[in-house]
Amino acid sequence: MGRIALEGIRKSFGTVDVIHGIDLEIGEGELVVFVGPSGCGKSTLLRLIAGLDQPTSGKIEIDGVDVTRKGAADRGLAMVFQSYALYPHMTVRQNLSFGLENARMPKAEIDQRVEEAARMLDIGELLTRRPTQLSGGQRQRVAIGRAIVRNPTAFLLDEPLSNLDAELRGTMRAELAALHARLATTMIYVTHDQIEAMTLADRIVVLRKGRIEQVDTPLNLYNRPQNLFVAGFIGAPNMNFFVTEAKSGRAALPGGAEVVLDHAGPVTIGIRPQHLRLAQDSERAIAAKVHLVEALGAETVVHASAEGAGSILTVLEGQPLIERGAEIRLAFDDENIHAFDADGQRIG
Amino acid sequence: MSAIKNFIFRRRGRDGGWHWTDIVTWVWLIGGTILMFGPALWLVSSSFKGPAQLAEFPPTLLPYVQEVATVEGHDAPLPLFEATMEDGTTRILAEIRRIGTSAQMVDPADPGERISVRLTDRTPLREVGLAVDNYVDPFLSFDFMRYLGNSVFVTMAATFLTLLTNSMAAYALSKYRFRGRDAVMLLIIGTLMVPLSVILVPLYSVVSAVGLLNSLWGVILPTIATPTGVFLLRQYMLTIPDELIEAARMDHASEWQIYWRIILPLAAPALAVLAIFSVVWRWNDFLWPLIVLSRRELYTLQIGLNTYAGELNVQWHYILAMTVVTMIPVVLVFIFLQRFITTGIAGAGIK
Repeated sequence: MGRIALEGIRKSFGTVDVIHGIDLEIGEGELVVFVGPSGCGKSTLLRLIAGLDQPTSGKIEIDGVDVTRKGAADRGLAMVFQSYALYPHMTVRQNLSFGLENARMPKAEIDQRVEEAARMLDIGELLTRRPTQLSGGQRQRVAIGRAIVRNPTAFLLDEPLSNLDAELRGTMRAELAALHARLATTMIYVTHDQIEAMTLADRIVVLRKGRIEQVDTPLNLYNRPQNLFVAGFIGAPNMNFFVTEAKSGRAALPGGAEVVLDHAGPVTIGIRPQHLRLAQDSERAIAAKVHLVEALGAETVVHASAEGAGSILTVLEGQPLIERGAEIRLAFDDENIHAFDADGQRIG
Repeated sequence: MSAIKNFIFRRRGRDGGWHWTDIVTWVWLIGGTILMFGPALWLVSSSFKGPAQLAEFPPTLLPYVQEVATVEGHDAPLPLFEATMEDGTTRILAEIRRIGTSAQMVDPADPGERISVRLTDRTPLREVGLAVDNYVDPFLSFDFMRYLGNSVFVTMAATFLTLLTNSMAAYALSKYRFRGRDAVMLLIIGTLMVPLSVILVPLYSVVSAVGLLNSLWGVILPTIATPTGVFLLRQYMLTIPDELIEAARMDHASEWQIYWRIILPLAAPALAVLAIFSVVWRWNDFLWPLIVLSRRELYTLQIGLNTYAGELNVQWHYILAMTVVTMIPVVLVFIFLQRFITTGIAGAGIK
């Protein structure tokens, strides 16, 4: 239970195309995260799956049944909204039981399910309160509780943590992960926060402008981004890019370093800030001038610039003694190089 | 207590002195109070005056009643006057009857002697008092309870139906997207520009054709769809987040349940405002009930009151008293529903 398949989904609002043909299979019990910059269509895609909007064309299947033309209530899904959308005039208990009452469930069973969800989410003593009397984190739990009591085939979560402060977000993130492990129900999670995406997801779907850029496990996205967009989007701080030309199997980087590359023509070489290190004397390296040093204790972020390459970010371990204005040489290993062709697609 | 006194009497001037804004504020507030409350207080005070006192000029601020005394040999109590005698002394005398320009009077202490006093030489002896008969008589002779019942029924039924139909229209016009939605809204708003007097005759034909003349439903039904109500509720419902409706839709709620269990409770402040309006409108309605209702037992209060204003004689003392009575329900509605208005405004400020 909980397989979701999208086939050639398109969505237009008037003359504006928002989703341009999306094919995606989500397996049973999987936690899939839709991630991408704002306006990429991730929330729209979630609403299409929920049945709150109708796709312009394409097919949506849940457990092999075509639900494209079915209403939101008949798809057996539950959704947690970004604003929580708790009914302000109902108590927490009424909020939780509203959906079950609508499904004409016997009162005893409703009570049992509400109690169970309240215990699971530790909101038992809040049941008689109204949403306005709750803190942000408590509202979040109630919103999740409202989804849980329905016992849905899949959970849809639309940026559920974006209204919480940083500390609470970390706690709730861990709780969500634990909840998924316990319920083993399919979850689709929309976020623009890549830490949430990396920590929670079984698989991440990276979206841009209504198209899927890459679908893969978090570490595969990090280690082998398929294109320039994914490479730049996943990982913090952002990957350093060097635009250069590959000739006779080699591409030159600023400062004289060269990388071996089985390609000819314009290429972009990407190296993550964490994969650069201060070079030994004899080593192949990129030469750069330091602009800013941010010492964070455990690591030091160095902003530097190389001739003809713009700015280079480096994350160095520990607290190396580097001063602003100094010339540094940055070395890297071949296995940490990402190369992309003129169309931004990965080479090799 | 002293805190309240400080609050009210504090001034903005230097060293607690008068600033020109203090003077303007006081003048504005006192003037405004007189302007707002004056007519109502005048109405209430006049409603306790007898017919003779109402016709008096200059009018008095407070209601007075003539003092009377029971005099031996006369069945009814006689009115008392202060009379100036020919020798310049004044005496308290009771009037037996008036004859031309003089009155035949008697001293209550000495009922045997009759004294003739010119009308210009005496002034009525009066004390502040209430002419309660103004209120009691209509209840006894006039069919007040029946008229009151009709008015209450018309007001309650019309208000209930107004809230129901207008909120349904407002929900559809605020939360559903369909072709021609804005056109429908404009059409509804456009009817605000057509006054009742323009549609009076066609409306009468319609009501007559469906056989609702001389029926309270003929008063109620034409009034329930109000453009003001639809507009007011729609504007309020636009502020209810769509996500709540979507959440309810995910929660298996039917469209009717969404309207009934989500939209209506959340629109309560706007509904209260419309309820107040509707009660006041329907309670004070005069022209339309006057046209539809011609049988006496169906009269509403406002039409019933009209029967005191005859062609030749207007019984102001009864009209004033009954006007006060008809004001009471409207005032009560305001007192009980006004907290919804204020909470509605407060809620709008937070969001």
